[in-house]
Amino acid sequence: MKPDIDALVTRIPGSVDFIQLDSAKCNQCGRCLVVCTMNLWRKRGNKVFLANDYKSRCLECGACYQVCEADAIDFHYPSGGKGVVYERG
Amino acid sequence: MKDYDIIVVGAGPGGSIAAMEAASRGLKTVFFERGRKPGEKNSSGCGLGPRMWQDFRFMTELTPDSCPSMRAGAASRSYFVNKQGVVAGYVMARPTESVSYEPAKSFITMNVYRSDFDPWLATYATNAGAELKTSTLVTGLMREDGRVTGVIDEHGEKYRGLVIGADGVVSMVARECGLRKRWGQDHVTLIPQYDYAVDPRKIDDIMGDETLAVWWSALFPAAYHVFFHDGFHIGLGNWMTWWDKNPLSYLNQVVNLEYFKRLVRILDARPREYHVHLLPWQGTPTDTHADNVILVGDAAGVPCPLEAEGIYPAMMTGRAAAETAAEAISAGDRSKEFLDLYDRKWQQTSVGEEFKTGPELAHIWRALPFSPKETMTWFVPMIMEILGGILDWSQPHAVRVRQVMRQVKSYLPQAVPFLVKEVMPLLQAILGDKMELLTSPEKLMASMPELQEAVASAFEEKEGSS
Ligand SMILES: Cc1cc2nc3c(=O)[nH]c(=O)nc-3n(C[C@H](O)[C@H](O)[C@H](O)COP(=O)(O)OP(=O)(O)OC[C@H]3O[C@@H](n4cnc5c(N)ncnc54)[C@H](O)[C@@H]3O)c2cc1C
Repeated sequence: MKPDIDALVTRIPGSVDFIQLDSAKCNQCGRCLVVCTMNLWRKRGNKVFLANDYKSRCLECGACYQVCEADAIDFHYPSGGKGVVYERG
Repeated sequence: MKDYDIIVVGAGPGGSIAAMEAASRGLKTVFFERGRKPGEKNSSGCGLGPRMWQDFRFMTELTPDSCPSMRAGAASRSYFVNKQGVVAGYVMARPTESVSYEPAKSFITMNVYRSDFDPWLATYATNAGAELKTSTLVTGLMREDGRVTGVIDEHGEKYRGLVIGADGVVSMVARECGLRKRWGQDHVTLIPQYDYAVDPRKIDDIMGDETLAVWWSALFPAAYHVFFHDGFHIGLGNWMTWWDKNPLSYLNQVVNLEYFKRLVRILDARPREYHVHLLPWQGTPTDTHADNVILVGDAAGVPCPLEAEGIYPAMMTGRAAAETAAEAISAGDRSKEFLDLYDRKWQQTSVGEEFKTGPELAHIWRALPFSPKETMTWFVPMIMEILGGILDWSQPHAVRVRQVMRQVKSYLPQAVPFLVKEVMPLLQAILGDKMELLTSPEKLMASMPELQEAVASAFEEKEGSS
């Protein structure tokens, strides 16, 4: 059994963008790809990028920002009142 | 521009207590929460320890009316999962004979969903006169003449006052005031967790007053299992340095254990939510304050070094921060040097006590349940050999005892270095120069009173506190 993750998340849409990747700083270490439990970071060739639909899937944990020693990922929380809602957190 | 005495960023346990303590001292206080209500962004719904009832008298007012998810109990369970994914055994434990604080004899933790608990806690701050602004993200710090003088919210509104950063593990306040951009990778953990819905009667029937379980395992980092009124959390974590693949894949190994699946069946449990959160977990909190800024709770890195209990430390540091801020304001000095007082204050509390042996405690935990492959692969079978080895009627008992001893001996090449490397430093830190006694059983027996005294002085037990 593997619970369907997206079905287990409630979210209020409408935030401004809150994660940015500075490709010039990225050293392709790949740590963001490992720690993002939602698999929102991808690598094609030697280019890392963030899923287009990240705003509707991100759980706002900040792990990608935390592991990015190259300081290429900028992360802020989504707009107030928007984003993920944990009713049983 | 709005003027306040105290501006608190975050309405988690740290922020609400800071706001409550500040407002009740007559300070004009505002606290901000990015969620529509406090608690809806938090995922640690978990254990509140009996200490909280000691230090925060109003905890006795926590009732199922205000906090429907609450569930307390006296027992915990430890499962031991071997590298084949089999539950090789489990132990149920209740508060032991040595427990001295009376209420702790009847419950080990009170489990609550943060979505219930945090809003309840925030009402103590608003009742004390603090102003709560929900659905408001604080995006930056305001500077005047190069100094931090307040905060700016997402709408560009400015608020002037002494800033208490209670904004959790990914702290904007810590970042913007230059204290910390991010944690060292071995100072913070990542924790994915599922919530399952369960009928309360099933929990009562099947779990009784067991409120939590730990799944110690050779396959995944120790997983915790916590029961609430109508559901449970199952989650696990490890330091950022540890993960070699998607952390969720380790959690899915837990929910796929045959034993776990059976439990889910008999509890008739359904997955209800999925959460993921970071949690600071380190031996020594540093960089807790700057000019006109104090960090509390997760933002300050104060969760307990052994088990990362973080709600109580957030509340205690929230209180210490508000007291310090009040003194700074009345002294007219908000410099970092004056605010050093904050560290002295929280270090004198039971939170500070934890960190006296912080690095050793954090280390031992990391080396044991959080090193499933390196340590738990021998630890689990060794423990089970001892616990379960004798219950076997295949041989005369004398033969079995010899077999068990031989098997235990075969783990010694791993167990002894572990003891030397991980356990000895902890004992050293606790016992100091009394440590030599341990290496000589005769001396040890001859000096039991001295040993007791050493343990007592290591923990600085105060008269009548035990
Ligand atoms: C899975 C898990 C299990 C845990 N289990 C336990 C346990 O059993 N017992 C225990 O005691 N501790 C536990 N902890 C630790 C505990 O959750 C934390 O230590 C505790 O929540 C810290 O409180 P805090 O007030 O410092 O921060 P938080 O609780 O994180 O609160 C910060 C608040 O600030 C808000 N915020 C953040 N940034 C902004 C901003 N820029 N503007 C406005 N608002 C903002 C957030 O929405 C949040 O409400 C656990 C943690 C995790 C992740």
